[in-house]
Amino acid sequence: MNKKLLDKTTRNFLVISVLILIVMAPVFYLISHTMYVIETDETLQMHKEDFLENYNGKFKKADIAVWNKYNKSIKIVPSKGIVKDTIFQYIKFDKWESEYLPFRELWSPITIEGKPYTYVESINLVEMEGMVWSVAIMFLLTITLLLIGIIWMSKISAKILWKPFYDTLNQIRDFEIDKNKQPQFLPTNIEEFDTLNKSIDRLIEKNTAIYQTQREFIENAAHELQTPLALFQAKIDTMFQLPDISKEQSLILGSLNNDVSRLNRLNKNLLLLSKIENINAFDKQPLVLNDYIKKHLDFFSEQAKAKSLSIVVEFSQVLQIEADQGLAEVLINNLFLNAIRHNNKDGKIIITISDNSLSFMNTGDGNALVMEKMFNRFSKSNPSSKGNGLGLAIIKKIADLNGWQISYTFLDNLHCFTVKF
Amino acid sequence: MKILIVEDESEIALSIKNYFKPNGVQCETAANYREAIDKISLYDYDCILLDLMLPDGDGFGILRELKARNKSEGVIIISAKETLDTRIEGFNLGADDYLTKPFHLSELLVRIQALIRRKNFKGSNSLVFNEIVIDILAKTVSVNNIKLDITKKEIDLLLFLIGNENKVLSKGAIAEHLSGDMADMLDNHDFVYAHIKNLKKKLSKAGSEDYIKTVYGLGYKWQDE
Repeated sequence: MNKKLLDKTTRNFLVISVLILIVMAPVFYLISHTMYVIETDETLQMHKEDFLENYNGKFKKADIAVWNKYNKSIKIVPSKGIVKDTIFQYIKFDKWESEYLPFRELWSPITIEGKPYTYVESINLVEMEGMVWSVAIMFLLTITLLLIGIIWMSKISAKILWKPFYDTLNQIRDFEIDKNKQPQFLPTNIEEFDTLNKSIDRLIEKNTAIYQTQREFIENAAHELQTPLALFQAKIDTMFQLPDISKEQSLILGSLNNDVSRLNRLNKNLLLLSKIENINAFDKQPLVLNDYIKKHLDFFSEQAKAKSLSIVVEFSQVLQIEADQGLAEVLINNLFLNAIRHNNKDGKIIITISDNSLSFMNTGDGNALVMEKMFNRFSKSNPSSKGNGLGLAIIKKIADLNGWQISYTFLDNLHCFTVKF
Repeated sequence: MKILIVEDESEIALSIKNYFKPNGVQCETAANYREAIDKISLYDYDCILLDLMLPDGDGFGILRELKARNKSEGVIIISAKETLDTRIEGFNLGADDYLTKPFHLSELLVRIQALIRRKNFKGSNSLVFNEIVIDILAKTVSVNNIKLDITKKEIDLLLFLIGNENKVLSKGAIAEHLSGDMADMLDNHDFVYAHIKNLKKKLSKAGSEDYIKTVYGLGYKWQDE
C-alpha cells in the first residue's frame, strides 16, 4: 500500500524516537543508580571521617554502650576482623517501613583505647529508588511532550512546505490535454518545487502545442480536401451523363463513384471528430431517447432490410438525457448503424433502455472484439469492411465529452454496446 | 430559369453550368465578390448559388448587399465550411438553403427547383409531369387524376428523379438525398433499390408510363422517350 510522504517521514521519526527511548531507559536507570550509590558511599565515608575527626582519642570504651544506645545508624561493634574500609549492599527487613529494603553499609576498622573495633554505618537506599522513579517519569514526560511537539510542528511545517507540491500534483492529475485548461501552479520560493512547476509547465505547453498543431492539421487537411472532393464528385456526376458509355466503363465509373462517396464520408467523419474535440461548451437540451429511437426506427429498419434483420426494442424506462442534440443523435445513429453493418444475414438487433443506459445488442462475428483498440481511430476488426473505422472513435468522443460510460460485452453470441448516462 | 453561380473554383462552376444546361437552367458565373456584386446589381436571377469563401471578400457580404438592395433572389449557400454558426449566420442574413461541399450536382439541382417553386408559390405548389401530378404541400401524387397510395419517401424520390430528368443518378446520390443528415454515416445503398422498385410498381399500377430506367452499372434515370 502506498503511504503519504508526510506520514512516512513522521513514522520514521517516531520509530527512531521510540527505539532510542527503549535503549536509553535502562542505560539511564543504570547510570543514575550507580551515581546514587557512589554518592551514598561518599556520604558514608564523610560520616566516618567526621567521626574520626571529632572523636578520635576522646572516645572511651565506656562510651560505646551509650553511643550505640542513642545512635541508630552508626554503631561501634567489636572488631569484625576487617583491616580496611569495606562497603557492601544488602537487603534487610525494615521494621519502620515494614518491608524489605536495600541498604548500603560501611564497615571501617577503628581503634578505641588500643583495642580494635569496627565502625558500622548503614544508609537506606529507598530514597534513591523513589528519586530514580520520579526523575524517570519527569524525563519520560518531557521526552513525550517534546516528541509530540516535534511531530506536530513538523507536520504543520511540512504541510506548509509541501503545499505547492500537492497543489501541483492535483493539477497534473486533473489535466487533460484535449481540454483547454492550462494548470496554474501556486507560486513557491522553494527551488525544487519551482523547478518542478516550471518543468511541468514547459512539458504541458510543448505537448499542448504539438497536440493543437496535430488537431488543427487534421481539421485543416479535412477542410482543404472538401474542395477537390467537390470537384471530383462534380466531374463524376458529369461523366455519368456522357452518352455511349460502354459496359466496362460503366462498371469502373460506378465503382469510382462509390470510392469518392466513401472518401467523402471519411472526410466528413474526420471533420466531425475534430469538431467534437474542439467543443468546449455546448448547448444542452433535453432529449428523450425512447422517442428519438421510435421516430427513426423506420429509417434504420429500411437499412436493415437488405440483411433481413429483425429489430427488437425493449424499453423498460423513459430515458431523458441532457445533451447537445446533434451529438447525441450522432452517437445513437452510429451505434444503430454499427449494429446493422456488422450483422449477419437474418441476424437480430436488440435495443434496450433500462437503468439509465442504452444498449445495442447484435448478432455478428462469432468472436468478441478486442477491447483495447476498438475505440481508436481507424482500428477495424475486419479490414475489408466498408466502415471507415471512425464510428466507434466518434461514439467514444461524444460519450467522454458528456461524461457517459461506454462499455462493450460479448455474451451469448451477441455484441453489446452500452452507454450509461 | 436563370441562376448566378458565385464560386471562385471555376471548375466547379463550370461543372454545375454544364450539368444544369440540358435541364433548362441557364447559369452565369462570378468568380469573385466584385464580379458578383456587379452582376446582381445589373440583372435579376431566379436563384443565386453562393460560395462563402471568395478571394476578395466574404459570401455573407453578398447576402447583406442583396438585403440592402431589397433583392428577392433565393440564395443557396454552397460551402466547404460546415459549422452550425456559419449555417445560422447564413440563414439569418437571408439565405434559403445551405449545402455543404462536396455535394452531388443532382442534389443541388433539386434544391434549386424546390427553392424556385417555393418562391413562385401562388396558392398551389405542384409539379406536373405528363400524366403525373405531385401536390407538394398536400403530399399527394395522382396519375391521370387517380390518387396513389404513396409514402413520403417515395414522393421525395419521385421529385428527385423528375427534377433530374434525363440524368443518370447513382444509387449513392439517391441514397444521400433520401437519408438527409444520416447520409454521412451510410455505407450501404441497397435500400434504394427497394424504393425504386416500389415506386415503379405503384406508378405502373396507376397506369403511368414507365419512366424509370435502370442504367447498367451506374444507377437510374428518369426519361420520357
